[in-house]
Amino acid sequence: MSSHAPSPVRAITAGVVACRTCGLVLRRLPVPTPLSSCPRCATLLRERLPRSGEHTLAWLIASVILYIPANVLPVMYVNGVGGGEESTILSGVLSFWKSGAWDIAALIFTASIAVPATKFLALGLLLWTVRRDSSWARRQRTALYRLVEIIGYWSMLDVVVVALTAALLKFKALGTAEPRLGIVFFCGVVVTTMIAALSFDPRLIWDRGRPDGR
Amino acid sequence: MTVAVRSEPQRAPVGWSELLVCPHCDVLHRTVVLGRHEIAACIACGGILARHRSFSVDQLLALTVAAALLFLIANAYPLMIIEVGGMHTEATVWGAALLMLHGWTAWPAAVLALTMFILPLLQIALLLWLLTFASFGRRAPGFRGALVALHRSRPWSMTEVFLLGALVAIVKLSSWVHVTPGIGIWALASLMILLTVLSMVEPRFWWTLS
Repeated sequence: MSSHAPSPVRAITAGVVACRTCGLVLRRLPVPTPLSSCPRCATLLRERLPRSGEHTLAWLIASVILYIPANVLPVMYVNGVGGGEESTILSGVLSFWKSGAWDIAALIFTASIAVPATKFLALGLLLWTVRRDSSWARRQRTALYRLVEIIGYWSMLDVVVVALTAALLKFKALGTAEPRLGIVFFCGVVVTTMIAALSFDPRLIWDRGRPDGR
Repeated sequence: MTVAVRSEPQRAPVGWSELLVCPHCDVLHRTVVLGRHEIAACIACGGILARHRSFSVDQLLALTVAAALLFLIANAYPLMIIEVGGMHTEATVWGAALLMLHGWTAWPAAVLALTMFILPLLQIALLLWLLTFASFGRRAPGFRGALVALHRSRPWSMTEVFLLGALVAIVKLSSWVHVTPGIGIWALASLMILLTVLSMVEPRFWWTLS
């Protein structure tokens, strides 16, 4: 792209609005008219998600709070031949690591600990830069948002593992497994971070600061 | 390629079908027909706006029928089986969720049932409904509601996460007992591929189904 090219026109300045459900592009009605619905899919037409920053921040704070008991409390109890043992997410990762299964350990560490932490930092950074009206690295920040959207649900991995292990390991002689309270908080972290990401309107990144991004 | 509109339109007619707005950065684009393997990316933020659709309505219907059958198999047969001295346990998708559906574990169990079973089932059922009518050149009853539900449930449908979780569970359990992968897990893996292919169809295409 040549640096002399005029900057692309945005829907908000062209007086059009796209439906967020079906993508239909419509002319924006003058401001005093009440909100109208999309003629194709009946979704309420809005230029931006209302109070996106506040909603994202609220869900983000909720997920950070839930992240603490999710990591401190045990997520599973295994009653094996050598006696009963409770395990947290981190101790589960460590036991895989010690038994030589470094690949599984890395997988669970990424999905359960690194992905939520990355989402906290990324959404925090996006909220902070939008609040500061920053025009810094817009393209990269938008890509960061897309990354958060894509990686989000992989954190459910550990919930699946605990549920399946508990469903299968129910031999009185050999061992039994039960879910523990930590998994409830952990599931809460995944759901709240996903809602936080869905509440964030990435167009805010491009609304603030200087239009040319310099 | 999609070309960004570089001059401000004087008048924007309602429902301009040749216009497309990037959902990530709000830049207005003019749509063009994509060639094979071509992908349209946003000029400003680099996000993918559209892909060339390589499947006809009948082919999409065939893929959806295959997905429905695989979903049936993935849930009718066990994902994994443990046999120890005459004792036998097996796990299915909904069986694992049902087992946790009491006390405080009911919350994660409900989330699991929704994201791993109910919503993928809903997605397949809605596509089957829409595409069956479309293949006869007709618009399905409840077209609008079905498409809105398809759109809203997409971020919460997590078949691929379930597959990976099942594989990790097999490895984890094999340190205690002998675990055999069941037919369900192969069906689940194939289902995941089909659902990924179906999700590559750009959302705007579904609204143009007759």
